[in-house]
Amino acid sequence: MTGHRGHRAAYIAFDRFPSAKGSAVHIRHMAAELFERYRGGLLCVLGGPDLPAYQREGDVEIVRFTEVVPNLLDRAQAFSAWVAEQLAPYHDTLELCHVRDPWSALPALGTGARLVYEANGLPSIELPYAWPHVAPTTLDKVRELEGHCLTAAGAVVVPSYVIKEAVTARGVEPDRVVLIPNGADPVPADLPRPAAAPGRYLIYVGAVQPWQGVDVLLRAFARLADLPDLTLVICSSVAPSRTRRLRGLAERLDLRTHWEHMLPHDEVAAWLTHAELSVAPLTATPRNLEQGCSPIKVWESMAAGTAVVASDLPVIREVLGDCGRLVPPDRPAELARAIRVLLEYPDLGRELGERSRGRVRGWQHARDQLSGVYDRVTAH
Amino acid sequence: MTPCAVTTGFFTLGKCGQMAVAGCPGCGRALCADHIAEGGLCPECAASRNQFGHPASAAAYRRRRYRHSSSSAYQDTLWYTSFDAFDRAAFDPHAGADQDYLDDGDDALVDS
Repeated sequence: MTGHRGHRAAYIAFDRFPSAKGSAVHIRHMAAELFERYRGGLLCVLGGPDLPAYQREGDVEIVRFTEVVPNLLDRAQAFSAWVAEQLAPYHDTLELCHVRDPWSALPALGTGARLVYEANGLPSIELPYAWPHVAPTTLDKVRELEGHCLTAAGAVVVPSYVIKEAVTARGVEPDRVVLIPNGADPVPADLPRPAAAPGRYLIYVGAVQPWQGVDVLLRAFARLADLPDLTLVICSSVAPSRTRRLRGLAERLDLRTHWEHMLPHDEVAAWLTHAELSVAPLTATPRNLEQGCSPIKVWESMAAGTAVVASDLPVIREVLGDCGRLVPPDRPAELARAIRVLLEYPDLGRELGERSRGRVRGWQHARDQLSGVYDRVTAH
Repeated sequence: MTPCAVTTGFFTLGKCGQMAVAGCPGCGRALCADHIAEGGLCPECAASRNQFGHPASAAAYRRRRYRHSSSSAYQDTLWYTSFDAFDRAAFDPHAGADQDYLDDGDDALVDS
């Protein structure tokens, strides 16, 4: 056991873990690969209510940042400084650090260990959605910071070609960027129907930021009001307080909706399996077009064998190929029409679902690819 | 007129401000004819790719190197980031796009 004597690996993320979000699924699988390889390690993540500040699970030490800092930038920098303190005792033994953002990468770079940067998103593109007063000059600084950390990494892991383009535009040599698409583990065919599930339902799973297009879905569903036995189920990965506006919109449109909030990840598969269709109405925004993503909701719908109706964006085509129904983004009428067609031709939906199930690769495949990246980075 | 957005100056840094004639393919900022470096990039993007043919690229490279080396010398991981009070103000809790964002989930830089 390496444990207290000196960790050889660290996984650092400015994310709460565990949580109901897709990022937590990602962290779980990627960190598992790292810690299996090094027989343990240090996991530095954000804390939250009901999460212990310190945990020890076998050879893995989990430390959580619990300081309350109201300003996001101050919080990110306080996290950086805290991570530097956590890593300080292991400078002599650390061989590999795996990070997900620049504020995790900065202290990792100070250790001299090899760095693998997992770029699932770029703060310089996503921050303005939640923080609209951010000045372009500030975003330039964030962008420069990203470029600095990305170019210093031994390898950059991305889940999508679109992110690969965005990363190479920040100066990273293309041969150091490795594409490892997200995955989803196979869903057993006999999963029981959730007790709260309505009769026939469409499903949306995920968070509710503006780029997810949940408002487009609600407006599309309003056009299906003539289908009286159909309900829209929204499995939100965030708390009810953050879906307040969308629930208000659903009420104004007089929709039959059923909301589930922050379901444990292992319960989501049953909801997906018994849905008529799964919808991923991503919008055509810079976050989806320039930064890119690899939506876990789409992967998991495919693994459940449920046909997917999604926005026709490069990031969706990468995942779905020809195994789903693509519609122009931000067009409620087009989305409603595509849903109606698939509901009227259930054989077509079933066939798409079966084909998409065969296209999904499990997380073990992603972990094997990541293992290859670790081999390459540590060999140099 | 779109002004050139390249940082210039010795003691006092400012924007070049001449009429832009192109955009940097790396970062998209507007460039005047004097500040187009190798590959049509702005001097800073050229410097980040280790291309120093343009005089301004060398200056950008030196700025970057100084910040990086001083960060290591002082063992201060935050030295490299040069955020000031103006940058920070945009991230105060009341400055969020939607207060709903802040109820439980503004804990990630990247919400993916």
